[in-house]
Amino acid sequence: MMGEVVHAPLDTDVAIETPEHIVFRHRVAGPARRGLAYLIDVFVCYFTLFVVGIVVLLASGAGDIVDRMQHAPQTTTGMGVGLMLVLLFVVQWVYFVVWETWKGTSLGKMALGLRVVTTTGRPIGFGGAALRNILRGADVLPIGYLVGVVSMLLTSRFQRLGDLTANTMVVMVDRARATAPVRLWPPAEPYELASIPERVMLDAEERTAIELFLRRRGTLGPAREEELASMMMEPLVRRHGIHPPHPGVHGGPPPPRPSRLLALLYERAANAGRGEAPTSSRHEAAGGRLSWR
Amino acid sequence: MALTSHVTEAAFIARRNQDWAELERLTQRAANQDVSALEVQEVTRISPLYRDICADLARAQAARYSAPLVDYLHALTASAHSVLYALPPRPRFTFSLRGKKSAFLAFPRAVRAHWPTMLLAAFLFFGPFLFGAIASIAEPSFAFRVVPESQLRPLVDGYAKGFATGRQAGEGAMMAGFYVNNNVGIALRCFATGIFGGLGSAFYLVQNGLAIGAILGYVASQGAGGNLLLFIIGHSAFELGAIVIAGGAGMSLGWSIIAPGNKTRLASLQSAGRDVAVIVSGAAVMLLIAAAIEAFWSASSMPAVVKVIFGATWLLVVLSYIFLAGQDEPWERT
Repeated sequence: MMGEVVHAPLDTDVAIETPEHIVFRHRVAGPARRGLAYLIDVFVCYFTLFVVGIVVLLASGAGDIVDRMQHAPQTTTGMGVGLMLVLLFVVQWVYFVVWETWKGTSLGKMALGLRVVTTTGRPIGFGGAALRNILRGADVLPIGYLVGVVSMLLTSRFQRLGDLTANTMVVMVDRARATAPVRLWPPAEPYELASIPERVMLDAEERTAIELFLRRRGTLGPAREEELASMMMEPLVRRHGIHPPHPGVHGGPPPPRPSRLLALLYERAANAGRGEAPTSSRHEAAGGRLSWR
Repeated sequence: MALTSHVTEAAFIARRNQDWAELERLTQRAANQDVSALEVQEVTRISPLYRDICADLARAQAARYSAPLVDYLHALTASAHSVLYALPPRPRFTFSLRGKKSAFLAFPRAVRAHWPTMLLAAFLFFGPFLFGAIASIAEPSFAFRVVPESQLRPLVDGYAKGFATGRQAGEGAMMAGFYVNNNVGIALRCFATGIFGGLGSAFYLVQNGLAIGAILGYVASQGAGGNLLLFIIGHSAFELGAIVIAGGAGMSLGWSIIAPGNKTRLASLQSAGRDVAVIVSGAAVMLLIAAAIEAFWSASSMPAVVKVIFGATWLLVVLSYIFLAGQDEPWERT
């Protein structure tokens, strides 16, 4: 047959093999997304600092704070300024370490669906979080994370120096929700299936192509939909020796539209086989749920 | 590559989706709260469910079930994996904070294991320090080349007054904030820039040594040296020790790239990184202690004798901690 198209994974994917020999992929986050997450974090931090600053200012009488600090540092003013400086330290050096140790992500990363993991896909601990964040001190140089961005662009996992040293990477959290499988609607009529071979063999690409098309049905205009479907039909029809029914010359039911025919093909291919799954190795499942989300 | 499966997708889903839903519920709760939030019997369910879903994923991929199903199983496997392997049998990193004693002893052990760079860091700091001090005493205007005159003159006035009044509570808190932010920040930056072949650390060590030496020498040349010594004696063991240690750790990081030995440069950097994470965390704690002493003790109106005894005691404690603590076992990378 024709040469197989190799499914080259996207180059921003990192494959991780578990001890169970299951391979799953993490999509690595690039500089733009991480930069945006960083901006959110910075905004959160300095907004907090700003609010605390206002409170400190009000608490210390809102007078000429600079003058009083220099000449008569009063208890409240001095303590307020001390608090601000400690907070500044926390913002610069502690904020990320605490969040990443605790949750594996920071507020900004969380907002963009990012997460820090080791290059083997495990959560990072305190040591990893501390190391990768202290090394921000090198990554920010000379201005605006230039070293970090250059390092990201030179490494396949978009790692800045802190990531390289701590052996970590920032990935996008895959929150794939279960979507219902494609259902043929209305259900196939016997006469419709009659024109389709008993056993339809689709290869992975064909199946994916048809599935993507069927999932997008309804977002295209009807004419465009049928046009696309007939374009997909042709090679399938030729390869599988399917004979679409002739136009209803004998007064029989009208022939299926190309999109309907595709759906029928898909249905036949997907539902070939036993209608019963083997049970789990552990226990007898007591009947499945009625509908699968 | 024909599409072959013995079981239809719908039947597969119908049979297995109950387990998937249970695993999804458990991993989500474990991820949102903590594994400890789960009941014991729930925790023991995760592992068999995870094994099953691994098999399901493999089966779904082999049977070429529809992409959403495979993606769903994929994501569920990944999130269950991260829950299940969140707590590996060994500590995730070189030291665990749970064992306080081990972290307490890991720090001096790690510092001693990196003694060549620590020694170099000490020379790079104390060499310029002595040079700055001696040069400024001999010729006070030398200090102006290192630290601006406008910053030096107020210092002399300040220390000439002595500590009769001490500091007010508010001022102490303010200075504590300043020392925490400034000094710990400098030490961490000094460490981080060591990744550039150790050059950044070396620069910060020399610069800080020279500046501190020049300040000391200049203030001494103006006749307030005794008071300045009384001020710094309490916290200097922690502060200067931590700067040297952080700088040495930074140079270790740089050296691991320059001379990786029989590892790749990246592997060498990562193994050095595990060591120095311990060292830098310890140095940061030392600096926090230094900040507290500097803010609330060093400028207090305690008699000179008390300050000297206080400072000497801490110097002894810090030195013996670094050199002697945890001698029974050598530092071991895990």
